[in-house]
Amino acid sequence: MDRYQFEDLISDFIENKLSMHQRKDFETYLDENPEATQQLDSVKQVIASMKSMPEVSTSTDFMKNLNKRILAEKEAQSVVKTTRSFSGYTPIMASLSAVVVVAVVLLGLEFIPEASNQATFSPTMAEEHVDELPVVPTQTNDDLLAESENDSTNIDEDIPNTTDFKDRIQLVGDRRP
Amino acid sequence: MPEEFRYTDEELIARFQDGDEQAYVELVNRYRDRLMSFIFRFVNDMEKAEDIVQDTLMKLYTHRHFYRNIAKFSTWIYTIAGNLAKTELRRKKRHKVTHLSHMGTEEREYQLPSVEPETGETAQCHFAEKEIQKAIQELPLHFRTVVILRDIQELSYEEISKIVDVPLGTVKSRINRARLQLQQALKEFR
Repeated sequence: MDRYQFEDLISDFIENKLSMHQRKDFETYLDENPEATQQLDSVKQVIASMKSMPEVSTSTDFMKNLNKRILAEKEAQSVVKTTRSFSGYTPIMASLSAVVVVAVVLLGLEFIPEASNQATFSPTMAEEHVDELPVVPTQTNDDLLAESENDSTNIDEDIPNTTDFKDRIQLVGDRRP
Repeated sequence: MPEEFRYTDEELIARFQDGDEQAYVELVNRYRDRLMSFIFRFVNDMEKAEDIVQDTLMKLYTHRHFYRNIAKFSTWIYTIAGNLAKTELRRKKRHKVTHLSHMGTEEREYQLPSVEPETGETAQCHFAEKEIQKAIQELPLHFRTVVILRDIQELSYEEISKIVDVPLGTVKSRINRARLQLQQALKEFR
């Protein structure tokens, strides 16, 4: 055993935590080294001195101050409980918010029908305004056919088929001139 | 059996969690001086130590539901106190200069261990206590915590290991090293 091993085992020796074998080695080292015995005694004294240090007590006002803090904490908790009832809103704020939301919804409903009259069409509206519909002259199928045959805008036959690329494309291996 | 020993700490905290404030008062009475001793030896300032003990017991009040009956109550409360003390020491280190001008401004009445006039022996004892206290302050924080908990508070190695949240072997080693450092520091005094 060397000095470092001896120092590592001092506390275990004092507290009887060494195995028989370790204890024997430790005691042999002590017998051979008087300064080690001195060091051991010195450590024992330190431990004894610390154990005998007087207990320090709290001041006489300790409980009074603690009670004050607890009361303050309780008050703070009760304030938090009353002020945070509705998802973090105070009751007043929650009521005001609810009133504002209802007012916005009501105002919205007031305006929506007028704005949407022109955009939407319902059967009842058709019945209401049936007199205002323009009068369309009645035509038979024959009249419509004759009209389309004479239609000058029907120019499809005069326009060449521009999508026919048969003569314009020459594929690889095509030996056409 | 005296009233205060009818319940274990764990039973008292359980009662307090169920709303029994008298159980809280009982816990405070059991722990305030023990914690005061621990914290004072740690920070070496009576007022700061008392503030930290108050903070610890306030935490017990406000965070009572955080305690789970898987560890000893004493382990839990010492852990809270130790953490608060370390935070205070770090703060103290940062504001050392400003704190110097405020030392001793507020006076509190502390219950001193003895009011008898000091004889030669008690004066020697008081001097020894001061020297030991001074030597403890010289220890690194991780040594200081464990040696106070072991040799002044007389807690078991297992409990200290849980409080400081380090393995048992490390705790044993730190306590041994701390004792050797104290022995070296106090060698001249002896």
